Amino acid sequence: MRETMPIHTWQVLRDRIVQFLIYASVLLISAVFIWILADLVRGGFAHLSWEFLTESPRDAGRAGGIASILVSTLLILLVAVLTAVPIAWTTAILLAEFVAVDSAFGKAVRFSLHVLAGVPSIVFGLFGNAFFSVYLGLGFSILSGGLTLACMLLPILASTAEAGLRTVPNAYRMSASALGLTRTAALVHLILPAAAPVLAAGLLLGIGRALAETAALLFTSGYVDRMPDSLLDSGRALALHIFDLSMNVPGGDMPAYASALVLVSLLLCINILAMKFAHGLQRRKIMT
Amino acid sequence: MPKNLQLLLAYWFFIIIGIACTSSLQAQTKAATQRLVLTGSSTIAPLVGEIARRFESLYPGVRIDVQTGGSARGIHDVRKGIAAIGMVSRALKADEADLHAFVIAQDGVSIIVHADNPVRTLSREQIAGIYTGRITRWNVVGGADARITVVNKAEGRSTLELFLDYLQLKNSEIKPHIIIGDNAQGIKTVLGNPHAIGYVSIGAVEFEAQRGAPIRLLSLDGVEASVENVRQDIFPLSRSLNLVTSNEPHGWVQQFIEFARSSQVHDLVRAQYFVPVNTD
Repeated sequence: MRETMPIHTWQVLRDRIVQFLIYASVLLISAVFIWILADLVRGGFAHLSWEFLTESPRDAGRAGGIASILVSTLLILLVAVLTAVPIAWTTAILLAEFVAVDSAFGKAVRFSLHVLAGVPSIVFGLFGNAFFSVYLGLGFSILSGGLTLACMLLPILASTAEAGLRTVPNAYRMSASALGLTRTAALVHLILPAAAPVLAAGLLLGIGRALAETAALLFTSGYVDRMPDSLLDSGRALALHIFDLSMNVPGGDMPAYASALVLVSLLLCINILAMKFAHGLQRRKIMT
Repeated sequence: MPKNLQLLLAYWFFIIIGIACTSSLQAQTKAATQRLVLTGSSTIAPLVGEIARRFESLYPGVRIDVQTGGSARGIHDVRKGIAAIGMVSRALKADEADLHAFVIAQDGVSIIVHADNPVRTLSREQIAGIYTGRITRWNVVGGADARITVVNKAEGRSTLELFLDYLQLKNSEIKPHIIIGDNAQGIKTVLGNPHAIGYVSIGAVEFEAQRGAPIRLLSLDGVEASVENVRQDIFPLSRSLNLVTSNEPHGWVQQFIEFARSSQVHDLVRAQYFVPVNTD
């Protein structure tokens, strides 16, 4: 005797509706991204050229290119990531691997990270201006801008890395210690590679936030659009350049569109590269 | 463990090298070049940036860093000594008499509406009525039957102070629907809303109108809003763009201010849609 489950039409209908809603929301999200990209390409592609990427801006940004601004942006990003990543990831390792979940210390650190994550970027900008630019005497410079951004990146990097380390199954740690590996060896050879995709995703989130930052950089890395000679020179970030062109310079719309297109393409490239890299790292470290 | 220790050592080594490099660079740049920092009005910043570029090409030993943030910031930074020169896009007030101001250009401010709006002129009382919320519909002042969208400038902008001074109002009396920052933002807001009214720099509007943007300047007190009338000093709502210093300027500061006021930069002033001053 075979038992059959009676399937009511309304159940089929319900499944269909849920399926439709899920596809619709996926489409909606992709549509927003494609719309933004299409608008940028439509507005900025005609202005984009090799000269645009290799020349410095002239006439308040209406003419010339964005070479010096790209260099400043990448230098700010480099300073921010090099400062924030070691501090944030070691914090995450401490929180996830060496401190019990319910310890008072762990809770206090986690709480302060959450508060830090909720602080608006203009507050970081004012703090960076008061502390790095004025108190430490770095002035308006790429260094003080990068360090301010590093403060902003800390909570993002630490929370994502901690979450990533916690997703690694406990069986890995058990097996490692059963095989006689020290905790450090297990961490370096097993747990960190296993968590690499999440670490990379967190890093990307941070880089994205840093590249898009305007308010925190206005008062720290500054407004100078000249090619920077050193980290102590003021340098205008790409997002700030776009903001200034579209809001303060009459007739700056075309270069603003083109600069935004460059910014988005840069983000896409970094995204793809980091994903590939993280995937490769995970395979190589764990499989061999 | 040794591998980790190596990594840690390598990282610290990197940091130490980094600090050493930057400090030596700092020493070098301090020895080789003189640096001037300017902060202040976002209206003046693009103009002074261009003037600074030309000045640097004439005197390679000087670097001029132009920062922005608004007139109030310029005055604050000059008083604190963070900036050598401040940029202030209005005349100095009575409580700012401790500073020295040097006019580098003139700028007019006028009311703008969308080009589809039939209103051609507004009296001072009508403008005050619209901005204080007593007049809420365009048909009261001869326009279409539509609600007026009032666009105001953000606190701390000198365009706002100039405008309030002209209308003899306080900012708390104004009932705005939209608050904006810079000039181009004001123009975009009015372009996107045919029933909006705003006020921005005349030069910026003339530039956009020449490029075919549907926007119109209203005349004030019967005087047509144009760069030409600002030049002749007959337009009622105009302001001076100033460089300010805390002490009597000397050295490079004095040279730069003299250069910014000289006829050598008049083409740059005109290219940013301001009116040059005659100092000769």
